[in-house]
Amino acid sequence: MYQWLDDRLSIGKLYAKAFRKAFPVHHSFFLGEITLFSFVTLVLTGIFLTLNYEPSIRPVSGSLSGGQEVPAAYYSILYIDSLPFGAVIRSLHHWAAHIMIAAAFLHMLRIHLTGAYKNPRELNWIVGVFLLVLAIITAFTGYALPFDNYALTATKIGYEIGAAAPWVGKLLSDILFAGELSPTNTQTIPRLFPIHVLWLPLALIALIGVHLTIMIKQKHTQPKYAEKVAPGKIVGVPLFPQQAAMMGILFLVYIAVTTFIAGAFLAHPVQAFGPPTANTPAVKPDWYFMWIYGILQIIPANWRFEFLGATFGPQFWGGILVPTVIILGALAIPFLDYSKEKQRYLELPSQHPFRTSFVVGMLMFYIMSTLAGYKVDLGLSNGLLWVLVFIVPIVTGVVCYIIMKAIYGKDWNREPEIKLIGKGSAADD
Amino acid sequence: MADHEATAHHHEHHHEDPQAHATRRAILQAAIGVSAGAAVLSTLWVGAGLVPREEKIPSKEPVAVGDVLVFATGPKAEQEITLDDLRAAQRERIPFIIAFPKSPENVVKKDLITNTIMVILADPAKMSPETRQHASPEGVLAYSAICKHLGCTVSLWQNDTWLCPCHGGRYDIYNQAKVVGGPVPAPVPQLPVKVEGGKVVVAGEFLGKPGADV
Repeated sequence: MYQWLDDRLSIGKLYAKAFRKAFPVHHSFFLGEITLFSFVTLVLTGIFLTLNYEPSIRPVSGSLSGGQEVPAAYYSILYIDSLPFGAVIRSLHHWAAHIMIAAAFLHMLRIHLTGAYKNPRELNWIVGVFLLVLAIITAFTGYALPFDNYALTATKIGYEIGAAAPWVGKLLSDILFAGELSPTNTQTIPRLFPIHVLWLPLALIALIGVHLTIMIKQKHTQPKYAEKVAPGKIVGVPLFPQQAAMMGILFLVYIAVTTFIAGAFLAHPVQAFGPPTANTPAVKPDWYFMWIYGILQIIPANWRFEFLGATFGPQFWGGILVPTVIILGALAIPFLDYSKEKQRYLELPSQHPFRTSFVVGMLMFYIMSTLAGYKVDLGLSNGLLWVLVFIVPIVTGVVCYIIMKAIYGKDWNREPEIKLIGKGSAADD
Repeated sequence: MADHEATAHHHEHHHEDPQAHATRRAILQAAIGVSAGAAVLSTLWVGAGLVPREEKIPSKEPVAVGDVLVFATGPKAEQEITLDDLRAAQRERIPFIIAFPKSPENVVKKDLITNTIMVILADPAKMSPETRQHASPEGVLAYSAICKHLGCTVSLWQNDTWLCPCHGGRYDIYNQAKVVGGPVPAPVPQLPVKVEGGKVVVAGEFLGKPGADV
């Protein structure tokens, strides 16, 4: 059998070339894989959901809605929840999306903190930034599909934020949502559905392919210890069988843990929100939008002017400008902090206090603007929140820099002390 | 023989008039350019079909003078709002009612978002003169309920101010919905109303543009 396949597909060559790819061993290297597992989970649970979902808002009534007339999309969610494990699978789809975005973000942090985006891996950093943005957009296009009051309100805010982009915003929002988002617009769901389940996932698959191909072509950046263990050599375990076995185990653990979470915490109970009405419930966005939500609340109302027929209001500053600047900033990182030499080894965060402090400051900005999302609930004043969101992160960064200098400053250029048995050098002391 | 011909042909090509060669190249380039342009234009033409078509249906008409306000939600949805309903609402946690206009032809105009209206019975003594001018003598007051910030329905009430649940915008309903908190760039427009036979009737157009100000 093997011989038959090998004759036709040259498996031996493929094995030698691709399956022997070395994977560095370090737990932080699994974050990208967890992102990939989440995507696989999303596709698998998504297949189940698409087969039972009705992308329409025609009014239907039945026993599941207690005879009440509700939109068909909403009814089909009730139907999915009534299937064996249906609610768990829908909940798993929800949680896997959260975990995918969280894991992608942490993966990106690891790359950032260790300088792995430097020459020659700038391109893959850029692909990665686009992947994260695309994943978030894909998650957003799925919000409205259950077509309950909560989902529709949250999506409506996104519609209006899109419309706040100067000149073309309204047109682009109208194209994405097939007109103004309202409980009675019959075209919105038939438009969002294929975008969420077909076109954006295809784009994600294509970009993931590019991301992995570039990674295999360029090879992983090596962890610092590899330089000591075998200078100039690639250190790691081969994709097959060692890495594949670890990946398989991790995937099974991932599925087990997320399924448990999904079952224990059933996500988005549509019955609790009811079908869309003219009234707006108090909505909070998911955590990965909470920081934008927070910033939107603290932008002063009078920051508004018109220019060549476009309105630049608080919605533009908070909803469009800030996220755009952050995305552009992320894209610029490998060009602002670059190395002429090809980067073979990861850098230690402790040896790059400025970069590490910058990341800590940005994380503080994220936490503080998320806190601003609770402005009304906590009764926080705008003045205080401006200090928390824009001053505290800078102070945090500076303090972090000073502390790092004090701790690591003395032996600035010294290599980390990794003593290897039989290789200790007397010249060290 | 075939070989011979091919060689001859090649030979001939080699000694071709450079002028004719350049002309042919220019024609080919122009043809490619025109085809590419036509392809882009036709793609845009097809793509323009993605822009939704505005359908004119009676339930999408904007609010007009003479419309009667009806409940937008709840068990009494699409029933006419009476002065008694507004009095009952005054005692609730949310002292106002979210309404849609109903045309004299009995069409509830609920398919246009900006037809979502907030109606409340308030003390005329607390109202500013401009506000009172467009309220009914009993104190029935109406505004567009669509937040000027990002288009949510302003649905909460806190400390005698009208509060949007989405981003914390606050309006002072006694003073032409002046913004008294949050990131809202402009007040929601007032809708002049009067009371006729116990029902709330629209007495004028919105005093400004309703809907999110983006």
